[in-house]
Amino acid sequence: MVKVESYEVPEGLYFSKDFEWVKVEGDKIRMGITDYAQKSLREIVYAELPSVGTEVTQGEPYGTLESVKAVSDLVAAVSGTIQEVNDEVQSKPETLNEDPYTKGWLLVVKPSNLQAELVNLMDFDKSVEWHRAQVASKC
Amino acid sequence: MSRRVIIVGANAAGVEAASAARKKDRTAEITLVTQERNAGYSRCGLPFVIGGQIGCFHDLVVYSPAYFQMLKLNLRTETKATAISTKDKTVTITTKEGVVEVLPYDSLVIATGADSFMPPIKGKEKPGILSLRSIEDGEKIDAAIRAGAKSAVIMGAGLIGLEVGVGLMERGLKVTIVEMLPQILPQLLDADMAKLVLEHLQEKGMIILTSKGVEEFLGKDKVTAVMAGGEKIEADLFISAFGVRANTKLAVDAGIPLGETRAIKTNGRMETDIKDVYAVGDCAEAHNIITHKPMCAQLGTIAVRQGKVAGANAGGDYSQFSGILASAVTKLFEIEAGNTGLTETAAIRNRLEVVTGAISSKTKADYFPGAKPIKIKLVVEKESQRIVGGQVVGGEEVTQRINCLSFAIQKGMTVRELAKADTAYAPPLCETWEPMVIAAELVLMKLR
Repeated sequence: MVKVESYEVPEGLYFSKDFEWVKVEGDKIRMGITDYAQKSLREIVYAELPSVGTEVTQGEPYGTLESVKAVSDLVAAVSGTIQEVNDEVQSKPETLNEDPYTKGWLLVVKPSNLQAELVNLMDFDKSVEWHRAQVASKC
Repeated sequence: MSRRVIIVGANAAGVEAASAARKKDRTAEITLVTQERNAGYSRCGLPFVIGGQIGCFHDLVVYSPAYFQMLKLNLRTETKATAISTKDKTVTITTKEGVVEVLPYDSLVIATGADSFMPPIKGKEKPGILSLRSIEDGEKIDAAIRAGAKSAVIMGAGLIGLEVGVGLMERGLKVTIVEMLPQILPQLLDADMAKLVLEHLQEKGMIILTSKGVEEFLGKDKVTAVMAGGEKIEADLFISAFGVRANTKLAVDAGIPLGETRAIKTNGRMETDIKDVYAVGDCAEAHNIITHKPMCAQLGTIAVRQGKVAGANAGGDYSQFSGILASAVTKLFEIEAGNTGLTETAAIRNRLEVVTGAISSKTKADYFPGAKPIKIKLVVEKESQRIVGGQVVGGEEVTQRINCLSFAIQKGMTVRELAKADTAYAPPLCETWEPMVIAAELVLMKLR
């Protein structure tokens, strides 16, 4: 894991430019939001997520996160059918702030076109580089 | 078709308005237009970058690029809004490259801020007079220090002037402050309270000349000295901190009326006299909670609260601005100072008859090591016995007392109620008798 300024970027995941991470777990994937995303939104108070069986499409919104100050769409990092939804983040949305990469996962998805879609995501090295560009200091 | 919201200005008030509009309307097209290269940063932090407590100007950015992207806010930096047509409901913008676009809006929020004010002083057109309003301004001051500036003259002893003065002293410069009025911090404090701050600053080596106006800027190619009160003061750096004036040109050109403070007139929803056009922050006026008169306090706290109200309304919600008390605090070296509501001077100017009470105490039990002095001044309206103002100057623990007095004023608390207030105590944290309570007792005795 590296830290870009105060933002954690763990190894072994894929990342989208819509602030989501993807973890490949056999024939399924798990996804959630990045540390950079939760820190930008600050105290998340509401997570609106679809139910099991819903189809999600890469690059398309599938849910909403609302914080005290902000509201943001969740944009799917890969396409597929939802297998599991994290109930804990719906009952305790602060989990997303406390632990975005493990306890704060959002969906488990059975991907429909994973190999082709992974190309559109960033690996660890690229993500670190991208995070650095996002927070690039002008001083 | 989705609602189109345009916000001119993308700092405290503008970004807050955009966020509030997005909260209400998830599908609106929200566009922020700013002339500056940077958006969503804290102007209030600029003096502390100069002083070196904050590493770099970039650290002042409060809203990351991710924030704008996640909220689907279309941010147009280095883009100038040049005209508003309230009839066609459009804003004309010009990009850095000179491309002109006409953007239609359903709701418009004007958050054009304020500009540093320069009085008509002889020689004011000469180069070399800096101010501190934007990151770019801050970078110029920082560059001058790095280039070897050893001394500075700051014109104006308000919050910005003194905060910059302290920052420059932290960087090793000799600082002279020139203030036309007989006291420092004339908006924030009464003379008796300001004296405590003045003495602290003088102890630290700041040269403060009060009751002295700047008469002329001297120098051939650039300013090398000022003439103030008949005295010539030479320096390497000159900073104008005379104050700021609402930036209203865009609004005035569009026929949007100003109010009696010369800032944009608004109603309780922060809407201007033109329907669907809102104005917020340093360019807008709103009513003072105590005097009920329009006021343009030009504070970051007011900008964000007004921004939130206007943004909600612009997004189709209903929200009212609760008014201004102009609560403000500052820290200058090791002294903190703050005010909420009216100072005694402001109360008298507004024809209120008031009784005041000032108490000196300590920030911990008197016997506890490290206890620092603190002084509280209450301003109470004679007839209603309501608290209308509070000032606090001390070594620590000032801000939350200002907030506490602000809540009391907002709730219409009388000095009699404050004298019976239930407060907390532990020797390392505060005195047995809360000084605000003793000050209230003092006022009650004077009212007898």
